[in-house]
Amino acid sequence: MCASVKHSSRGPALIPRMKTKHRIYYVALFSVVLLGLLATGVFQFWPHSIEASGDWAVEKRSAAVPVVRLPSDSPVPERGDLSCRMHTCFDVYRCGFNPKNKIKVYIYSLKKYVDELGMPVSGSISREYNELLSAIADSDYYTEDISRACLFVPSIDLLSQHALHIRETAQALAQLSRWDRGTNHLLFNMLPGGPPDYNTALDVPRDRALLAGGGFSTWTYRQGYDVSIPVYSPLSAEVALPEKGPGPRRYFLLSSQMAIHPEYREELEALQAKHGEAVLVLDKCTNLSEGVLSVRKRCHKHQVFDYPQVLQEATFCVVLRGARLGQAALSDVLRAGCVPVVIADSYILPFSEVLDWKRASVVVPEEKIADMYGVLQSIPRRQMEEMQRQVRWFWDAYFQSIKAIALATLQIINDRIYPYAAISYEQWNDPPAVKWSSVSNPLFLPLIPPQSQGFTAIVLTYDRVESLFRVITEVSKVPSLSKLLVVWNNQNKNPPEDSLWPKIRVPLKVVRTAENKLSNRFFPYDEIETEAVLAIDDDIIMLTSDELQFGYEVWREFPDRLVGYPGRLHLWDHEMNKWKYESEWTNEVSMVLTGAAFYHKYFNYLYTYKMPGDIKNWVDAHMNCEDIAMNFLVANVTGKAVIKVTPRKKFKCPECTAIDGLSLDQTHMVERSECINKFASVFGTMPLKVVEHRADPVLYKDDFPEKLKSFPNIGSL
Amino acid sequence: MQFWRRKSLWLALSASWLLLILLGASPLLRLAVSPRPQPATPQGWPHWLDAALLQSFSQPEEPPEDVPQPSQALHGARCSWGTCFDTSRCRDDGLKVFAHPAAGTASETHRRILASLEGSRYHARSLTEACLFLLLSQGTSAGQCGPAPHHWDGGRNHLVINLHPDSCPRASQLGQAMVAEASPRVDTFRPGFDVALPLLPEAHPFRGGAPGQLRQHSPHPSAALLALGEEGGRWHTASTHSATCPWDGRCEQDLGPKQTHPGEKLPNATFCLIPGRRAEASRFLQALQAGCIPVLLSPHWELPFSEVIDWTKAAIVADERLPLQVLAALQEMAPARVLALRQQTQFLWDAYFSSVEKVIHTTLEIIQDRILGTSAHPSLLWNSPPGALLALSTFSRSPQDFPFYHLQQSSHPEGRFSALIWVGTPSQPPLKLIQAVAGSQHCAQIMVLWSRERPLPFRWPETAVPLTIMDGPRKVSDRFFPYSAISTDAILSLDAHSSLSTSEVDFAFVVWQSFPERMVGFLTWNHFWDESQDGWGYTAEMANEFSMVLTAAAFYHRYYHTLFTHSLPEALRTLADEGPACADVLMNFLVAAVTKLPPIKVPYGKLHQEAAPLAPGVPGSRPHPQPPDQDCINQMAAEFGHMPLVSSRLRLDPVLFKDPVSVQRKKYRSLEKP
Repeated sequence: MCASVKHSSRGPALIPRMKTKHRIYYVALFSVVLLGLLATGVFQFWPHSIEASGDWAVEKRSAAVPVVRLPSDSPVPERGDLSCRMHTCFDVYRCGFNPKNKIKVYIYSLKKYVDELGMPVSGSISREYNELLSAIADSDYYTEDISRACLFVPSIDLLSQHALHIRETAQALAQLSRWDRGTNHLLFNMLPGGPPDYNTALDVPRDRALLAGGGFSTWTYRQGYDVSIPVYSPLSAEVALPEKGPGPRRYFLLSSQMAIHPEYREELEALQAKHGEAVLVLDKCTNLSEGVLSVRKRCHKHQVFDYPQVLQEATFCVVLRGARLGQAALSDVLRAGCVPVVIADSYILPFSEVLDWKRASVVVPEEKIADMYGVLQSIPRRQMEEMQRQVRWFWDAYFQSIKAIALATLQIINDRIYPYAAISYEQWNDPPAVKWSSVSNPLFLPLIPPQSQGFTAIVLTYDRVESLFRVITEVSKVPSLSKLLVVWNNQNKNPPEDSLWPKIRVPLKVVRTAENKLSNRFFPYDEIETEAVLAIDDDIIMLTSDELQFGYEVWREFPDRLVGYPGRLHLWDHEMNKWKYESEWTNEVSMVLTGAAFYHKYFNYLYTYKMPGDIKNWVDAHMNCEDIAMNFLVANVTGKAVIKVTPRKKFKCPECTAIDGLSLDQTHMVERSECINKFASVFGTMPLKVVEHRADPVLYKDDFPEKLKSFPNIGSL
Repeated sequence: MQFWRRKSLWLALSASWLLLILLGASPLLRLAVSPRPQPATPQGWPHWLDAALLQSFSQPEEPPEDVPQPSQALHGARCSWGTCFDTSRCRDDGLKVFAHPAAGTASETHRRILASLEGSRYHARSLTEACLFLLLSQGTSAGQCGPAPHHWDGGRNHLVINLHPDSCPRASQLGQAMVAEASPRVDTFRPGFDVALPLLPEAHPFRGGAPGQLRQHSPHPSAALLALGEEGGRWHTASTHSATCPWDGRCEQDLGPKQTHPGEKLPNATFCLIPGRRAEASRFLQALQAGCIPVLLSPHWELPFSEVIDWTKAAIVADERLPLQVLAALQEMAPARVLALRQQTQFLWDAYFSSVEKVIHTTLEIIQDRILGTSAHPSLLWNSPPGALLALSTFSRSPQDFPFYHLQQSSHPEGRFSALIWVGTPSQPPLKLIQAVAGSQHCAQIMVLWSRERPLPFRWPETAVPLTIMDGPRKVSDRFFPYSAISTDAILSLDAHSSLSTSEVDFAFVVWQSFPERMVGFLTWNHFWDESQDGWGYTAEMANEFSMVLTAAAFYHRYYHTLFTHSLPEALRTLADEGPACADVLMNFLVAAVTKLPPIKVPYGKLHQEAAPLAPGVPGSRPHPQPPDQDCINQMAAEFGHMPLVSSRLRLDPVLFKDPVSVQRKKYRSLEKP
């Protein structure tokens, strides 16, 4: 009113000759407008308070989604085929060839299903199912294009069978637009069955649909088709628990479940009576004051414990089956870093297709509850701590959220469809710390290649033709040489004519390179047909045929290592606080020079395509340290040291003494040291291994007739 | 005037309405249409603002579930490990097996299986001791099961072995017995209860068996990509580009030229395509032996020992309906994966499949693992060399305790050793030797195995490390007994005659730390094929190669004591008792069979060689080296079923060994004294 007065007082100036009748008219009009504005302002705040009362928003949503009326005679799917396997019931054609090796998952849009009378047949979507569908929709697996999808997920919440109308839900499934007997449909269910017999798989008829179920037993689980998933525990997500490292805890064994069969409870309590303090058997509390959540408390006699916090106080926690095999308690126990003792005969543990539960749990048959304590006691402490770490990893990776559960499920199915791109046992099961530190040698099979295979010599050359020819002539005398490959690294000059090359008994091939790069010497040329490669510089003419042949023999016994002649060492310089390159007379070696070295051809592939960081380009740019890079690479991937053969210390050619000056030597050493520091930082570790031995022929320098020795011509420095 | 008034009126009205619409309508509209989700083309699953308010699928207030009915009725088909096997019959010392004697005339294979069981660690002397009863099903014709033996007990704790598929009716008739069957059908196989066996060819060797055919780690560049099964159990290889639809002979005309001689017994290719029919299961083993990566097209049978073997590391199970996709994937497979798969085929073949005996022992080991529960073999031990049959779970459950897994576990063998001095033949206490060994910085303890036949000397030298004397009646094989007093990973095995310097001990131990799975020794023997005798022989002559090191002075891992005592058949250990030379050969056989690698020789001062002979048969000690018992090596080769020894042509010396530099620079300088 006040505002309108203001307006009217200003009014005369604006409309001076207005009559009273008109004035009232105007005042009324402005008031209406103002009221409208006020109302809008209030409305701006209204919707939030409406949404705050939850149900209303859900109602609104369900009012907004399309309604599907299911006639009572609409088709019901078949019960479910127990013999289904991926190659019989799954339509792989929908997945097709996919360069990314990722399945595409489609989620049906939300609908409301009602029966003929208009009564809703499905409950509203649960929080977890909403989360699950969101997780899938946010993942790389999701597609909006139903025609490109390989897997279909209905938006009908089946997580708990408790609230389901079995027949009507099945009918609702059957009318999904791509149902087709359930082919390629994935249903999620965590709480299957219902009283009195509690089936271990979802009772909803589902024909060929895959079931990701939370309580499978060996006879409902279709191995390699269904996926066993955990029963998610909302409680674990709500409660924050502090971190706890591995090691023994206050209670050795704890049972915290409330609904335990009396017979089993008796047995557990007998254990407690026998072992005293170490065993704690909790039950529900009977005398809690009002307002205290009974699910968050457990009692032993009159002592009250907080749940799930109490789980953190125990080393082993019993997860006993109830009416259902799958128990949410398993999630709580994993969350607390307690090693689960699973007592549920024939239960298929979550994700057991890929997870190695032996590493993170103890399975005890129901008949053996009484012996359980002894079994657990016999586990050595180291193994127990290993299990605790494993429990933690499983929780973090696959159990901690609905999203983790959903993604693990899809990954398992994905691995079945693209088996050649599947995730390995180690990737699923090894905790990150183990993954980083363990070495898996790519040449792990102990195998001594036959001598007859021989080796391929690769000579990198630029323009020292004369020296090159001498090297070729010398190397060709080695009995086990099977091919010689010259890598012509000079783009400005053509290699000599065919007729000028030395005539040797093995094939000789010249490869011309596109660019003068050091890494060309480590390229996995198709011309290399043997596994053994001898990399040799075009000025190494001092190695005798015996030395080279012996080097090859040594490589055969150590095919996964670099086998070379002069050895070098890396040292930690305490003053400078960095690595230092050492070529002096040391008692140790950690590298060999690749001026002449035998190694497996596979390392050429690794050098060219799998060298970490920018090392390869860095080496090409600096025209140095390619041998150190190779030493790093091989040591890092195999975890093994090099083998130095024969006493040789230097590749010194008679002609190049002049440039062996002191100053040059020093800058050389500084550069090489820098390389080691650079590579160590790129690798994130120092992979080189130091050893104190070298390989000599069995009878080297022994008192034995020289002419009877296999490799007499060995020994110069 | 009238006009002007009306105009301003309309103006004010429309202005205020405009204002109203602008400010007020949009929220009103939003409410009126619908809250989230937006009905128009949702991007993914809609994100609801009120998601947190949704009900959880499991209400904590839900009444506690009905109490369960413990132990359901048991049916044969519904058997699982927990319900149908009684582990309380098994004692702590592992699985003891009683094999029912064959009813009627037993086949040769059955007879040999029973014989091999008797000599093995699984053998139960009596029915009461046994926790597993073995029934070898008779006959190969379908439906013939043979009568149930005595003590059948409804099949409880029984294992029925069908080396041939379908030789016996299904599980329902077998009560609670487990079935180990060749290539069982996936739909009747009970995982965790039954055992899947490989489909063995009729003439599969009983013991030893042919080694894998793989000669090189990576495929030869010109090797064929694919091999396909032919009629009659033969293979032919197909070139990469033409093999677009290579199975079932549907596209035979497209196959292009066969690259190698058709009809090879074993395939020579990188991948071997094996159709899913059960009849083709025999090809699986052929491919495995040949080092040809099996590509199984929708197999209808369970892969052998799938309970413990991670087949994704050695084979590819693909869908037969997507041939082009499979081919493309094979062609594009990363070299690293091909390399790993190839090697794994060879390891698995050699560890579990190459002989009937290995297949039987693997089956029993799987069942033992189930009984052991938490102390069973970890997956790593099953799936990496040397395999679970050679890595005894009774030794330790931690892979770090074995000599084989340090790389995978990023662990190191312990930095100390225990010296074990064997005083077999009557002699003086080895005082000098004790002093030399005790002088090593790596020595943790010295143990003297004194034979009771002679009185104990009163005085022992003062040493910096603990010295233990163990006396008792001694067989030769007792020197390889896993004494609980041995606390270190490394053992330095010595004879009272041996003479070593501290420097030699130090260097040899440092070398051993780099090769903890091998034997590192000073004196060597070499084996050879003796044409004239048509058998194996071995010699102690100095030679350019060697294949055995003498345990009179050698470092090796203490695990080999456990393996020697608990895994070798009794017959072999008795053989070793016949003489120290035999024991040496046997130990070398054992280590070589496990590692498939030669032992390592380190330098040994010439001085000792002349002054004190290390062992019988060392040159220089006698005008004619004592001829080692050649019979022994042949008997062992027969018992092993093959010759495991591998020769080496190198010796590991200190880096500056005998180099013409100042002695002051050298760490192991006393090694070079004349």
